[in-house]
Amino acid sequence: MQLQQSLQMHDPFFEQKALVIGALYDVIDPELFVNIVDLGLVYDIDFLPDNKILITMTLSTPHCPLGEAIQTGVKNRLLQEFADHQIDIEIVWEPAWSLEKISEEGRKMLGMPPRN
Amino acid sequence: MAKINIATAPANSAVLPFYGTAALFFILLSILLLWRSPLLTNGYFDFHLLALVHLAVLGWLTMIIFGAGYQLLPVICERELHSETLAVISYLLLSAGIILLSSGFWVTPDLKGVFPLWGIIGGGLVFISSLLFVCNVILTTRICTSFNIQKAFILTSSIWLSATCLAGFLLAWNLRYPYISKSHLQLLKLHAHMGLAGWFLQLIIGVSAKLIPMFLLGKSNKTRLLISAYLFINIGIILFLVDGIFRSVASRAVIYLALVLTGIIFWTFYLRDVYNNRIKRPIDVTLRFSGLSFVNLCLTLLLLVLILVWRPAGQLQILYGTLAILGWISALALGMTFKTLPFIVWNGHYKHLNGKGRIPLPKELYLQWLVRLQWWFYIAALYGLLGGVLLQLETLIQIALIFLIATSISYGINVLYILQHKTSFIHATPTITPNA
Repeated sequence: MQLQQSLQMHDPFFEQKALVIGALYDVIDPELFVNIVDLGLVYDIDFLPDNKILITMTLSTPHCPLGEAIQTGVKNRLLQEFADHQIDIEIVWEPAWSLEKISEEGRKMLGMPPRN
Repeated sequence: MAKINIATAPANSAVLPFYGTAALFFILLSILLLWRSPLLTNGYFDFHLLALVHLAVLGWLTMIIFGAGYQLLPVICERELHSETLAVISYLLLSAGIILLSSGFWVTPDLKGVFPLWGIIGGGLVFISSLLFVCNVILTTRICTSFNIQKAFILTSSIWLSATCLAGFLLAWNLRYPYISKSHLQLLKLHAHMGLAGWFLQLIIGVSAKLIPMFLLGKSNKTRLLISAYLFINIGIILFLVDGIFRSVASRAVIYLALVLTGIIFWTFYLRDVYNNRIKRPIDVTLRFSGLSFVNLCLTLLLLVLILVWRPAGQLQILYGTLAILGWISALALGMTFKTLPFIVWNGHYKHLNGKGRIPLPKELYLQWLVRLQWWFYIAALYGLLGGVLLQLETLIQIALIFLIATSISYGINVLYILQHKTSFIHATPTITPNA
Protein backbone atom coordinates (compact mmCIF):
# COMPACT_ATOMS: atom_id res chain seq x y z
CA MET A 1 0.00 0.00 0.00
CA GLN A 2 1.30 3.47 -0.87
CA LEU A 3 2.21 5.72 2.05
CA GLN A 4 -0.38 8.41 1.27
CA GLN A 5 -3.11 5.77 0.91
CA SER A 6 -2.30 4.42 4.36
CA LEU A 7 -3.00 7.82 5.89
CA GLN A 8 -6.36 7.73 7.69
CA MET A 9 -8.63 10.76 8.17
CA HIS A 10 -9.28 9.78 11.77
CA ASP A 11 -5.57 9.67 12.55
CA PRO A 12 -5.02 12.34 15.27
CA PHE A 13 -1.87 13.43 13.39
CA PHE A 14 -3.51 13.42 9.97
CA GLU A 15 -2.58 16.99 9.06
CA GLN A 16 0.98 16.75 10.32
CA LYS A 17 1.56 13.46 8.54
CA ALA A 18 0.21 14.91 5.30
CA LEU A 19 2.68 17.76 5.76
CA VAL A 20 5.52 15.24 6.29
CA ILE A 21 4.58 13.32 3.16
CA GLY A 22 4.43 16.56 1.21
CA ALA A 23 7.90 17.51 2.42
CA LEU A 24 9.33 14.08 1.63
CA TYR A 25 8.27 14.50 -2.00
CA ASP A 26 11.12 17.04 -2.16
CA VAL A 27 13.75 14.47 -1.16
CA ILE A 28 15.03 12.69 -4.21
CA ASP A 29 17.23 9.66 -4.79
CA PRO A 30 20.24 11.31 -6.50
CA GLU A 31 20.89 8.26 -8.68
CA LEU A 32 17.34 7.68 -9.88
CA PHE A 33 16.18 11.33 -9.84
CA VAL A 34 12.84 10.28 -8.33
CA ASN A 35 11.52 11.34 -4.92
CA ILE A 36 11.64 8.80 -2.11
CA VAL A 37 7.86 8.74 -1.61
CA ASP A 38 7.13 7.71 -5.19
CA LEU A 39 9.99 5.22 -5.01
CA GLY A 40 8.19 3.60 -2.08
CA LEU A 41 11.18 3.94 0.24
CA VAL A 42 9.19 5.49 3.12
CA TYR A 43 7.28 2.85 5.08
CA ASP A 44 5.84 4.70 8.06
CA ILE A 45 5.58 8.06 9.83
CA ASP A 46 5.03 8.28 13.59
CA PHE A 47 4.54 11.29 15.81
CA LEU A 48 5.95 10.31 19.21
CA PRO A 49 5.89 12.04 22.60
CA ASP A 50 8.50 14.74 23.30
CA ASN A 51 8.08 16.26 19.84
CA LYS A 52 9.70 13.38 18.01
CA ILE A 53 8.98 12.29 14.47
CA LEU A 54 10.04 8.77 13.54
CA ILE A 55 10.42 7.99 9.85
CA THR A 56 10.67 4.28 9.07
CA MET A 57 12.17 3.79 5.67
CA THR A 58 14.39 1.59 3.55
CA LEU A 59 16.86 1.99 0.68
CA SER A 60 16.75 0.56 -2.82
CA THR A 61 20.14 -1.13 -2.25
CA PRO A 62 21.74 -2.32 0.98
CA HIS A 63 24.57 -0.01 1.95
CA CYS A 64 23.76 2.28 -0.94
CA PRO A 65 26.65 4.81 -1.12
CA LEU A 66 24.02 7.58 -1.18
CA GLY A 67 22.08 6.19 1.78
CA GLU A 68 23.52 8.69 4.22
CA ALA A 69 22.76 11.57 1.87
CA ILE A 70 19.14 10.44 1.51
CA GLN A 71 18.76 10.22 5.29
CA THR A 72 20.27 13.68 5.73
CA GLY A 73 17.90 14.94 3.03
CA VAL A 74 14.92 13.60 5.00
CA LYS A 75 16.12 15.23 8.23
CA ASN A 76 16.98 18.57 6.63
CA ARG A 77 13.71 18.80 4.73
CA LEU A 78 11.56 17.86 7.73
CA LEU A 79 13.40 20.29 10.01
CA GLN A 80 12.38 23.07 7.64
CA GLU A 81 8.73 22.25 8.37
CA PHE A 82 9.04 21.00 11.95
CA ALA A 83 11.88 23.06 13.39
CA ASP A 84 10.87 22.31 16.98
CA HIS A 85 10.85 18.53 16.45
CA GLN A 86 13.51 15.88 16.68
CA ILE A 87 13.63 13.80 13.52
CA ASP A 88 14.57 10.14 13.95
CA ILE A 89 15.06 7.78 11.04
CA GLU A 90 14.96 4.04 11.30
CA ILE A 91 16.33 2.21 8.29
CA VAL A 92 14.77 -1.22 7.99
CA TRP A 93 15.43 -4.08 5.70
CA GLU A 94 12.17 -5.94 5.99
CA PRO A 95 9.92 -5.85 4.16
CA ALA A 96 12.53 -5.66 1.43
CA TRP A 97 12.10 -2.91 -1.13
CA SER A 98 11.12 -4.09 -4.58
CA LEU A 99 10.00 -2.56 -7.85
CA GLU A 100 6.42 -3.28 -6.80
CA LYS A 101 6.69 -0.51 -4.20
CA ILE A 102 7.15 2.22 -6.81
CA SER A 103 4.02 4.34 -7.33
CA GLU A 104 2.39 4.82 -10.71
CA GLU A 105 3.87 8.33 -10.78
CA GLY A 106 7.30 6.92 -9.96
CA ARG A 107 6.98 4.30 -12.68
CA LYS A 108 6.17 7.05 -15.14
CA MET A 109 9.22 9.07 -14.03
CA LEU A 110 11.45 6.00 -14.44
CA GLY A 111 10.03 5.23 -17.88
CA MET A 112 8.46 1.97 -16.68
CA PRO A 113 5.19 0.69 -18.18
CA PRO A 114 2.08 1.25 -16.00
CA ARG A 115 0.73 -1.63 -13.92
CA ASN A 116 -2.05 -3.65 -15.51
CA MET B 1 11.29 -5.23 10.67
CA ALA B 2 15.01 -5.88 10.51
CA LYS B 3 17.09 -2.84 11.25
CA ILE B 4 20.35 -2.23 9.40
CA ASN B 5 23.21 0.16 9.82
CA ILE B 6 24.44 2.17 6.88
CA ALA B 7 28.19 2.02 6.47
CA THR B 8 29.69 5.40 5.74
CA ALA B 9 31.81 5.87 2.65
CA PRO B 10 35.58 6.28 3.22
CA ALA B 11 37.04 9.79 3.30
CA ASN B 12 37.65 11.31 -0.12
CA SER B 13 41.39 11.47 0.64
CA ALA B 14 41.45 7.66 0.62
CA VAL B 15 39.83 7.42 -2.80
CA LEU B 16 40.18 10.51 -5.01
CA PRO B 17 43.99 10.49 -5.46
CA PHE B 18 43.68 7.11 -7.20
CA TYR B 19 41.31 8.55 -9.84
CA GLY B 20 43.45 11.64 -10.52
CA THR B 21 46.68 9.64 -10.75
CA ALA B 22 45.12 6.98 -12.98
CA ALA B 23 43.98 9.71 -15.41
CA LEU B 24 47.53 11.13 -15.52
CA PHE B 25 49.05 7.70 -16.17
CA PHE B 26 46.47 7.09 -18.92
CA ILE B 27 47.47 10.34 -20.68
CA LEU B 28 51.16 9.48 -20.28
CA LEU B 29 50.53 5.98 -21.63
CA SER B 30 48.76 7.22 -24.75
CA ILE B 31 51.51 9.76 -25.49
CA LEU B 32 54.28 7.18 -25.02
CA LEU B 33 52.40 4.72 -27.21
CA LEU B 34 52.33 7.25 -30.05
CA TRP B 35 56.00 8.05 -29.51
CA ARG B 36 56.93 4.36 -29.72
CA SER B 37 54.18 3.23 -32.12
CA PRO B 38 56.48 0.85 -34.08
CA LEU B 39 56.40 -1.39 -30.98
CA LEU B 40 52.89 -2.41 -32.00
CA THR B 41 54.04 -3.80 -35.34
CA ASN B 42 57.25 -5.46 -34.17
CA GLY B 43 55.52 -8.26 -32.29
CA TYR B 44 58.37 -9.34 -30.05
CA PHE B 45 59.57 -9.03 -26.46
CA ASP B 46 60.78 -5.50 -25.88
CA PHE B 47 61.61 -3.57 -22.70
CA HIS B 48 59.76 -0.46 -23.89
CA LEU B 49 56.68 -2.58 -24.49
CA LEU B 50 57.04 -4.02 -20.97
CA ALA B 51 57.23 -0.48 -19.58
CA LEU B 52 54.05 0.51 -21.44
CA VAL B 53 52.17 -2.65 -20.46
CA HIS B 54 53.00 -2.10 -16.77
CA LEU B 55 52.07 1.55 -17.04
CA ALA B 56 48.72 0.45 -18.47
CA VAL B 57 47.85 -2.43 -16.15
CA LEU B 58 49.23 -0.87 -12.96
CA GLY B 59 49.30 2.89 -13.48
CA TRP B 60 46.03 3.23 -15.32
CA LEU B 61 43.87 0.19 -14.56
CA THR B 62 44.96 -1.14 -11.15
CA MET B 63 45.23 2.43 -9.86
CA ILE B 64 41.63 3.20 -10.75
CA ILE B 65 40.42 -0.19 -9.50
CA PHE B 66 42.08 0.44 -6.12
CA GLY B 67 40.27 3.79 -5.84
CA ALA B 68 36.90 2.41 -6.91
CA GLY B 69 37.55 -0.69 -4.79
CA TYR B 70 38.07 1.28 -1.57
CA GLN B 71 34.85 3.15 -2.30
CA LEU B 72 32.84 0.07 -3.21
CA LEU B 73 34.09 -2.37 -0.58
CA PRO B 74 31.72 -0.91 2.05
CA VAL B 75 28.85 -1.29 -0.43
CA ILE B 76 29.73 -4.87 -1.29
CA CYS B 77 30.62 -5.93 2.25
CA GLU B 78 27.91 -3.89 3.96
CA ARG B 79 30.36 -2.50 6.50
CA GLU B 80 32.85 0.34 6.69
CA LEU B 81 36.28 0.14 5.05
CA HIS B 82 38.66 -1.37 7.60
CA SER B 83 41.43 1.22 7.29
CA GLU B 84 41.63 4.46 5.35
CA THR B 85 45.27 4.84 6.43
CA LEU B 86 46.19 1.55 4.74
CA ALA B 87 44.39 2.81 1.62
CA VAL B 88 46.45 6.01 1.56
CA ILE B 89 49.72 4.11 2.13
CA SER B 90 48.83 1.66 -0.64
CA TYR B 91 48.30 4.65 -2.95
CA LEU B 92 51.72 6.14 -2.16
CA LEU B 93 53.51 2.79 -2.58
CA LEU B 94 51.65 1.93 -5.78
CA SER B 95 52.40 5.33 -7.35
CA ALA B 96 56.09 5.24 -6.43
CA GLY B 97 56.34 1.57 -7.43
CA ILE B 98 54.83 2.12 -10.88
CA ILE B 99 57.12 5.06 -11.65
CA LEU B 100 60.24 3.11 -10.61
CA LEU B 101 59.23 -0.16 -12.27
CA SER B 102 58.09 1.32 -15.59
CA SER B 103 61.04 3.71 -15.83
CA GLY B 104 63.30 0.75 -15.01
CA PHE B 105 61.96 -1.17 -18.01
CA TRP B 106 62.13 1.96 -20.17
CA VAL B 107 65.83 2.62 -19.59
CA THR B 108 66.99 -1.00 -19.69
CA PRO B 109 67.92 -0.89 -23.41
CA ASP B 110 70.06 2.21 -22.67
CA LEU B 111 71.80 0.29 -19.86
CA LYS B 112 72.85 -2.42 -22.33
CA GLY B 113 70.06 -4.72 -21.25
CA VAL B 114 70.77 -4.59 -17.50
CA PHE B 115 67.57 -4.07 -15.54
CA PRO B 116 68.27 -1.31 -12.96
CA LEU B 117 68.03 -1.95 -9.22
CA TRP B 118 65.41 0.80 -8.81
CA GLY B 119 63.14 -1.18 -11.14
CA ILE B 120 63.30 -4.14 -8.75
CA ILE B 121 62.60 -1.82 -5.81
CA GLY B 122 59.61 -0.47 -7.76
CA GLY B 123 58.33 -4.03 -8.24
CA GLY B 124 58.73 -4.59 -4.49
CA LEU B 125 56.75 -1.45 -3.66
CA VAL B 126 53.93 -2.52 -5.99
CA PHE B 127 53.89 -5.93 -4.28
CA ILE B 128 53.71 -4.36 -0.79
CA SER B 129 50.92 -2.05 -1.99
CA SER B 130 48.98 -5.06 -3.25
CA LEU B 131 49.45 -6.77 0.14
CA LEU B 132 47.99 -3.71 1.88
CA PHE B 133 45.02 -3.86 -0.50
CA VAL B 134 44.54 -7.56 0.32
CA CYS B 135 44.72 -6.81 4.08
CA ASN B 136 42.04 -4.13 3.74
CA VAL B 137 39.87 -6.45 1.66
CA ILE B 138 40.21 -9.36 4.10
CA LEU B 139 39.50 -7.22 7.15
CA THR B 140 36.59 -5.44 5.47
CA THR B 141 34.93 -8.49 3.93
CA ARG B 142 35.20 -10.67 7.08
CA ILE B 143 34.25 -13.40 4.69
CA CYS B 144 34.49 -16.13 7.34
CA THR B 145 31.64 -14.65 9.38
CA SER B 146 29.31 -13.85 6.50
CA PHE B 147 29.94 -15.38 3.09
CA ASN B 148 28.60 -14.15 -0.18
CA ILE B 149 29.89 -14.89 -3.63
CA GLN B 150 30.58 -11.25 -4.53
CA LYS B 151 32.89 -11.00 -1.53
CA ALA B 152 34.57 -14.28 -2.54
CA PHE B 153 35.30 -12.88 -6.01
CA ILE B 154 36.73 -9.63 -4.67
CA LEU B 155 38.86 -11.34 -2.04
CA THR B 156 40.13 -14.02 -4.43
CA SER B 157 40.93 -11.45 -7.10
CA SER B 158 42.95 -9.38 -4.63
CA ILE B 159 44.90 -12.49 -3.59
CA TRP B 160 45.58 -13.21 -7.27
CA LEU B 161 46.78 -9.62 -7.63
CA SER B 162 49.31 -10.11 -4.86
CA ALA B 163 50.40 -13.42 -6.34
CA THR B 164 50.81 -11.70 -9.73
CA CYS B 165 52.84 -8.88 -8.17
CA LEU B 166 55.03 -11.34 -6.29
CA ALA B 167 55.64 -13.32 -9.48
CA GLY B 168 56.43 -10.05 -11.27
CA PHE B 169 58.84 -9.02 -8.54
CA LEU B 170 60.65 -12.39 -8.76
CA LEU B 171 60.81 -12.07 -12.55
CA ALA B 172 62.19 -8.53 -12.25
CA TRP B 173 64.86 -9.88 -9.89
CA ASN B 174 65.61 -12.59 -12.43
CA LEU B 175 66.17 -9.96 -15.10
CA ARG B 176 69.02 -8.44 -13.12
CA TYR B 177 70.29 -11.48 -11.21
CA PRO B 178 69.33 -14.54 -13.29
CA TYR B 179 68.47 -17.50 -11.08
CA ILE B 180 65.50 -19.14 -12.79
CA SER B 181 66.36 -21.95 -15.17
CA LYS B 182 62.98 -21.92 -16.95
CA SER B 183 62.35 -19.70 -19.96
CA HIS B 184 61.71 -16.13 -18.78
CA LEU B 185 59.21 -15.61 -21.61
CA GLN B 186 57.26 -18.72 -20.60
CA LEU B 187 57.01 -17.46 -17.03
CA LEU B 188 56.03 -14.03 -18.28
CA LYS B 189 52.96 -15.61 -19.92
CA LEU B 190 51.97 -17.22 -16.61
CA HIS B 191 52.49 -13.89 -14.81
CA ALA B 192 50.38 -12.03 -17.38
CA HIS B 193 47.47 -14.47 -17.29
CA MET B 194 47.51 -14.66 -13.51
CA GLY B 195 46.89 -10.91 -13.66
CA LEU B 196 44.32 -10.97 -16.47
CA ALA B 197 42.17 -13.90 -15.33
CA GLY B 198 42.98 -13.95 -11.63
CA TRP B 199 42.94 -10.23 -10.83
CA PHE B 200 41.08 -8.29 -13.52
CA LEU B 201 38.50 -10.86 -14.64
CA GLN B 202 37.46 -11.93 -11.15
CA LEU B 203 37.40 -8.42 -9.77
CA ILE B 204 35.21 -7.33 -12.69
CA ILE B 205 32.86 -10.28 -12.14
CA GLY B 206 32.60 -9.64 -8.38
CA VAL B 207 31.99 -5.91 -8.71
CA SER B 208 29.61 -6.29 -11.67
CA ALA B 209 27.55 -8.87 -9.77
CA LYS B 210 26.87 -6.19 -7.16
CA LEU B 211 26.83 -2.99 -9.19
CA ILE B 212 25.03 -3.93 -12.41
CA PRO B 213 21.84 -4.88 -10.49
CA MET B 214 22.23 -1.56 -8.61
CA PHE B 215 22.64 0.55 -11.74
CA LEU B 216 19.92 -1.21 -13.75
CA LEU B 217 17.64 -1.70 -10.74
CA GLY B 218 17.51 -5.31 -11.77
CA LYS B 219 17.90 -8.45 -9.76
CA SER B 220 18.73 -12.12 -10.04
CA ASN B 221 18.39 -14.88 -7.51
CA LYS B 222 20.57 -17.21 -9.55
CA THR B 223 23.59 -17.03 -7.25
CA ARG B 224 24.49 -20.58 -8.25
CA LEU B 225 25.55 -19.24 -11.63
CA LEU B 226 28.12 -17.01 -9.91
CA ILE B 227 29.33 -19.83 -7.67
CA SER B 228 29.82 -22.03 -10.75
CA ALA B 229 31.65 -19.18 -12.50
CA TYR B 230 33.92 -18.79 -9.47
CA LEU B 231 34.80 -22.49 -9.35
CA PHE B 232 35.41 -22.94 -13.07
CA ILE B 233 37.57 -19.83 -13.41
CA ASN B 234 39.75 -20.56 -10.40
CA ILE B 235 40.19 -24.23 -11.23
CA GLY B 236 41.16 -23.19 -14.77
CA ILE B 237 43.75 -20.68 -13.58
CA ILE B 238 45.25 -22.96 -10.93
CA LEU B 239 45.63 -25.89 -13.35
CA PHE B 240 47.12 -23.55 -15.96
CA LEU B 241 49.70 -22.27 -13.49
CA VAL B 242 50.62 -25.61 -11.93
CA ASP B 243 51.04 -27.14 -15.37
CA GLY B 244 52.97 -24.10 -16.58
CA ILE B 245 55.36 -24.06 -13.65
CA PHE B 246 56.15 -27.76 -13.55
CA ARG B 247 55.77 -28.68 -17.20
CA SER B 248 54.83 -26.67 -20.28
CA VAL B 249 51.26 -25.57 -20.84
CA ALA B 250 51.44 -25.35 -24.59
CA SER B 251 49.37 -28.39 -25.52
CA ARG B 252 46.88 -28.30 -22.66
CA ALA B 253 46.24 -24.56 -22.50
CA VAL B 254 43.05 -25.01 -24.54
CA ILE B 255 41.60 -27.19 -21.76
CA TYR B 256 42.34 -24.57 -19.09
CA LEU B 257 40.95 -21.84 -21.31
CA ALA B 258 37.78 -23.93 -21.79
CA LEU B 259 37.35 -24.06 -18.00
CA VAL B 260 37.73 -20.28 -17.67
CA LEU B 261 35.39 -19.77 -20.64
CA THR B 262 32.77 -21.95 -18.99
CA GLY B 263 33.02 -19.75 -15.91
CA ILE B 264 32.58 -16.62 -18.04
CA ILE B 265 29.51 -18.15 -19.69
CA PHE B 266 27.93 -18.76 -16.24
CA TRP B 267 28.62 -15.11 -15.34
CA THR B 268 27.07 -14.00 -18.65
CA PHE B 269 23.90 -15.97 -17.86
CA TYR B 270 23.74 -14.24 -14.49
CA LEU B 271 24.08 -10.79 -16.10
CA ARG B 272 21.44 -11.70 -18.66
CA ASP B 273 19.05 -12.62 -15.86
CA VAL B 274 19.70 -9.25 -14.17
CA TYR B 275 19.22 -7.45 -17.48
CA ASN B 276 15.93 -9.22 -18.16
CA ASN B 277 14.66 -8.27 -14.68
CA ARG B 278 15.65 -4.63 -14.76
CA ILE B 279 13.70 -1.42 -14.89
CA LYS B 280 13.64 -0.67 -18.57
CA ARG B 281 15.43 2.63 -18.40
CA PRO B 282 17.40 4.03 -21.33
CA ILE B 283 21.05 2.91 -21.20
CA ASP B 284 23.25 6.02 -20.88
CA VAL B 285 26.66 6.49 -22.45
CA THR B 286 28.52 5.39 -19.29
CA LEU B 287 26.78 2.02 -19.38
CA ARG B 288 27.39 1.81 -23.13
CA PHE B 289 31.11 1.62 -22.26
CA SER B 290 30.35 -1.44 -20.11
CA GLY B 291 28.48 -3.07 -22.98
CA LEU B 292 31.39 -2.36 -25.31
CA SER B 293 33.78 -3.78 -22.74
CA PHE B 294 31.84 -7.03 -22.75
CA VAL B 295 31.97 -7.21 -26.55
CA ASN B 296 35.72 -6.61 -26.35
CA LEU B 297 36.07 -9.39 -23.76
CA CYS B 298 34.33 -11.80 -26.15
CA LEU B 299 36.66 -10.73 -28.99
CA THR B 300 39.67 -11.14 -26.69
CA LEU B 301 38.65 -14.69 -25.81
CA LEU B 302 37.96 -15.55 -29.43
CA LEU B 303 41.41 -14.29 -30.34
CA LEU B 304 42.97 -16.31 -27.53
CA VAL B 305 41.32 -19.48 -28.86
CA LEU B 306 42.69 -18.66 -32.32
CA ILE B 307 46.19 -18.10 -30.94
CA LEU B 308 46.15 -21.37 -28.98
CA VAL B 309 44.82 -23.45 -31.87
CA TRP B 310 46.60 -21.76 -34.74
CA ARG B 311 49.84 -20.72 -32.99
CA PRO B 312 50.63 -17.75 -35.25
CA ALA B 313 53.58 -15.37 -35.05
CA GLY B 314 53.81 -12.55 -32.51
CA GLN B 315 51.50 -10.06 -34.26
CA LEU B 316 48.28 -11.70 -33.07
CA GLN B 317 49.67 -11.72 -29.54
CA ILE B 318 50.14 -7.94 -29.70
CA LEU B 319 46.55 -7.72 -30.95
CA TYR B 320 45.42 -9.93 -28.06
CA GLY B 321 47.19 -7.76 -25.46
CA THR B 322 45.85 -4.55 -27.03
CA LEU B 323 42.31 -5.86 -27.08
CA ALA B 324 42.47 -7.12 -23.48
CA ILE B 325 44.08 -4.02 -21.95
CA LEU B 326 42.87 -1.14 -24.11
CA GLY B 327 39.63 -2.80 -25.19
CA TRP B 328 38.09 -4.94 -22.49
CA ILE B 329 39.38 -3.43 -19.21
CA SER B 330 39.91 0.17 -20.34
CA ALA B 331 36.39 0.49 -21.77
CA LEU B 332 35.01 -0.54 -18.41
CA ALA B 333 37.24 1.93 -16.54
CA LEU B 334 36.34 4.77 -18.93
CA GLY B 335 32.61 4.30 -18.33
CA MET B 336 32.56 3.27 -14.68
CA THR B 337 34.57 6.34 -13.66
CA PHE B 338 31.46 8.42 -14.34
CA LYS B 339 29.28 5.99 -12.41
CA THR B 340 31.45 6.27 -9.30
CA LEU B 341 33.58 9.43 -9.16
CA PRO B 342 30.73 12.02 -9.45
CA PHE B 343 28.86 10.23 -6.66
CA ILE B 344 31.93 10.22 -4.40
CA VAL B 345 32.50 13.94 -4.95
CA TRP B 346 28.76 14.71 -4.71
CA ASN B 347 28.63 12.94 -1.34
CA GLY B 348 31.51 15.07 -0.09
CA HIS B 349 29.93 18.35 -1.20
CA TYR B 350 26.21 17.82 -0.82
CA LYS B 351 25.46 14.99 1.63
CA HIS B 352 24.87 17.47 4.45
CA LEU B 353 23.03 19.97 2.20
CA ASN B 354 20.58 17.50 0.72
CA GLY B 355 17.00 18.60 1.43
CA LYS B 356 17.99 22.14 2.41
CA GLY B 357 17.71 23.72 -1.01
CA ARG B 358 18.58 23.38 -4.67
CA ILE B 359 21.71 21.34 -5.29
CA PRO B 360 23.09 19.77 -8.46
CA LEU B 361 22.64 16.07 -9.18
CA PRO B 362 25.71 13.80 -9.35
CA LYS B 363 25.34 13.54 -13.14
CA GLU B 364 25.65 17.34 -13.33
CA LEU B 365 29.13 17.22 -11.80
CA TYR B 366 30.78 16.18 -15.06
CA LEU B 367 30.65 17.35 -18.65
CA GLN B 368 28.24 14.90 -20.20
CA TRP B 369 28.87 16.16 -23.73
CA LEU B 370 32.57 15.44 -23.24
CA VAL B 371 31.85 11.84 -22.22
CA ARG B 372 29.82 11.43 -25.41
CA LEU B 373 32.75 12.87 -27.39
CA GLN B 374 35.13 10.62 -25.45
CA TRP B 375 33.02 7.65 -26.57
CA TRP B 376 33.59 8.44 -30.26
CA PHE B 377 37.30 9.21 -29.74
CA TYR B 378 37.65 5.87 -28.00
CA ILE B 379 35.79 3.91 -30.69
CA ALA B 380 38.03 5.48 -33.37
CA ALA B 381 41.16 4.85 -31.28
CA LEU B 382 40.47 1.24 -30.33
CA TYR B 383 39.20 -0.13 -33.61
CA GLY B 384 41.70 1.90 -35.63
CA LEU B 385 44.44 0.48 -33.44
CA LEU B 386 43.20 -3.08 -33.76
CA GLY B 387 42.91 -2.71 -37.54
CA GLY B 388 46.38 -1.16 -37.72
CA VAL B 389 47.98 -3.89 -35.59
CA LEU B 390 46.23 -6.67 -37.51
CA LEU B 391 47.13 -5.29 -40.94
CA GLN B 392 50.49 -3.89 -39.74
CA LEU B 393 49.65 -0.41 -41.02
CA GLU B 394 51.92 2.02 -39.20
CA THR B 395 49.98 5.12 -40.39
CA LEU B 396 46.64 3.74 -39.24
CA ILE B 397 48.17 2.91 -35.84
CA GLN B 398 49.50 6.46 -35.50
CA ILE B 399 46.12 8.02 -36.41
CA ALA B 400 44.40 5.70 -33.94
CA LEU B 401 46.90 6.64 -31.23
CA ILE B 402 46.17 10.34 -31.81
CA PHE B 403 42.53 9.46 -31.11
CA LEU B 404 43.68 7.57 -28.00
CA ILE B 405 45.46 10.73 -26.80
CA ALA B 406 42.23 12.65 -27.48
CA THR B 407 40.35 10.02 -25.46
CA SER B 408 42.75 10.21 -22.53
CA ILE B 409 42.81 14.02 -22.53
CA SER B 410 39.01 14.35 -22.69
CA TYR B 411 38.80 11.77 -19.90
CA GLY B 412 41.46 13.62 -17.88
CA ILE B 413 39.68 16.97 -18.33
CA ASN B 414 36.44 15.47 -17.05
CA VAL B 415 38.15 13.84 -14.06
CA LEU B 416 39.80 17.17 -13.24
CA TYR B 417 36.46 18.95 -13.72
CA ILE B 418 34.85 16.64 -11.16
CA LEU B 419 37.74 16.85 -8.69
CA GLN B 420 37.75 20.67 -8.94
CA HIS B 421 34.01 20.95 -8.32
CA LYS B 422 32.93 23.83 -6.06
CA THR B 423 29.82 23.55 -3.92
CA SER B 424 26.82 25.21 -5.53
CA PHE B 425 23.80 25.66 -3.29
CA ILE B 426 20.66 27.77 -3.42
CA HIS B 427 18.89 27.94 -0.08
CA ALA B 428 15.21 27.14 -0.35
CA THR B 429 12.34 28.49 1.73
CA PRO B 430 10.01 25.77 2.94
CA THR B 431 7.27 25.04 0.45
CA ILE B 432 5.04 22.04 0.44
CA THR B 433 4.12 20.90 -3.02
CA PRO B 434 2.72 17.41 -2.73
CA ASN B 435 2.05 15.81 -6.08
CA ALA B 436 -0.07 13.05 -4.61
